[in-house]
Amino acid sequence: MDLYSLLIENREIIKIFYGLLIGLICLIIVLKVDKLFRLSLHQGIRYLRNAFFFYGVAFIIRYIFGALIFYEYIDGKYLSVITIIFKYFLIMAGFFLLYSLLWKKLESSKNDDYSSLFNLKIIIFYIMALVIVFLDYVWQTHYFIFISQVILFTIASGISYLNYARGKSEHKFLKFYFAAMILALAAWIFNALSALLDWNRYFLINSYLLNIIIFLLFLYGVVNATRLK
Amino acid sequence: MSKKRERLEVIRDILKVIQNNRRIKPTRLLYASNLSPQMFKEYVNELLGKKFVQSEEDGNGKKIFSLTKKGNEFLQEYKVIENFVENFGL
Repeated sequence: MDLYSLLIENREIIKIFYGLLIGLICLIIVLKVDKLFRLSLHQGIRYLRNAFFFYGVAFIIRYIFGALIFYEYIDGKYLSVITIIFKYFLIMAGFFLLYSLLWKKLESSKNDDYSSLFNLKIIIFYIMALVIVFLDYVWQTHYFIFISQVILFTIASGISYLNYARGKSEHKFLKFYFAAMILALAAWIFNALSALLDWNRYFLINSYLLNIIIFLLFLYGVVNATRLK
Repeated sequence: MSKKRERLEVIRDILKVIQNNRRIKPTRLLYASNLSPQMFKEYVNELLGKKFVQSEEDGNGKKIFSLTKKGNEFLQEYKVIENFVENFGL
C-alpha cells in the first residue's frame, strides 16, 4: 500500500490529528500573544490574538466534531450545523487577521473599547461573516466562503508585502509573514479547486499540508519574537 | 519609521522618566517628555487609563506621578513587545 492510499484509508483519524495539531498550535499562539497584549494593551496584538482564537475554535469544531459524526458518536443531522459554525469562525478569524494589519489606519491608538469581540467595528465583521455563511447555506455551496477568503488573503498578501518591503532588513519575520499569506491564498485556491473538481483529493491534501505549514510558520514567528530579551 | 512604533517609544520614554525619578510632578514630566501640552495630556491619560502610571498627591496637595507594577513590567518587556509588533506588521 503506498503512502497516498494509506492517507486516504485513514483519513478520518488523520483529520482528528490535523484538527488537534492546528488547535494546539493556535492555543500556544493565543496564550503567548495574550500575555503580550495584557502587558502592552496594543490593539494590533489584540486582533492577532483574536484571529488565532477563532482559527483554533474553527479547526477543533470542524475536525473533532466532524470525526465524531463520521464514527456515529453524534447524529449526522448535525453536520450542517458544524459546517456553519466552522465556516463562521474561519471567516471571523480571517477578518481579525486582516484587521490586525489594517487597524492603525482605521482607529485611534487610544481605543477605549472594553471588548475586542463585541464592539461596533467588529459587529460589521460578524454581519459580513453571517451573510457569507447564510449565502453558502442557502445555495448549498462553499463558493462564497472561498471567494471571500481569496479576496481577503489577496489583500493581506499585498499589505504584508508592503510591510516586508519597508522593514525587511530589520525584521526577519516579515518575510515569513508574507510567505504565510501567499501560502494561505494558495491553500484557499486549492480548496476551491478541490470543491470544483468534486473534492479532488490531490488539491485537498495539498491545502491541508499548506495549512499546517502556515500555522507552524506563525508559531515559529510568535515563539521567536517573544523569546527575545 | 511607523506611527505605531513612535507611539510605543513615546510611552517607553515617559515611563522611563518616571522610573528614573520614582515620583515626578506633571510639569517636570511634561518638560522631560518633549511633547506638546496637548499630546502630553493625551499620553498621560492613556497611561493612567492603562494603569501603567498612578497619580497621587504629595504633602502639599500637588499631583505627582509614579510607576505601577504594570508600568515596570511594560518597561522590562518593551523590547519584546516592540520586536513582536514590528515583525508582525501590527
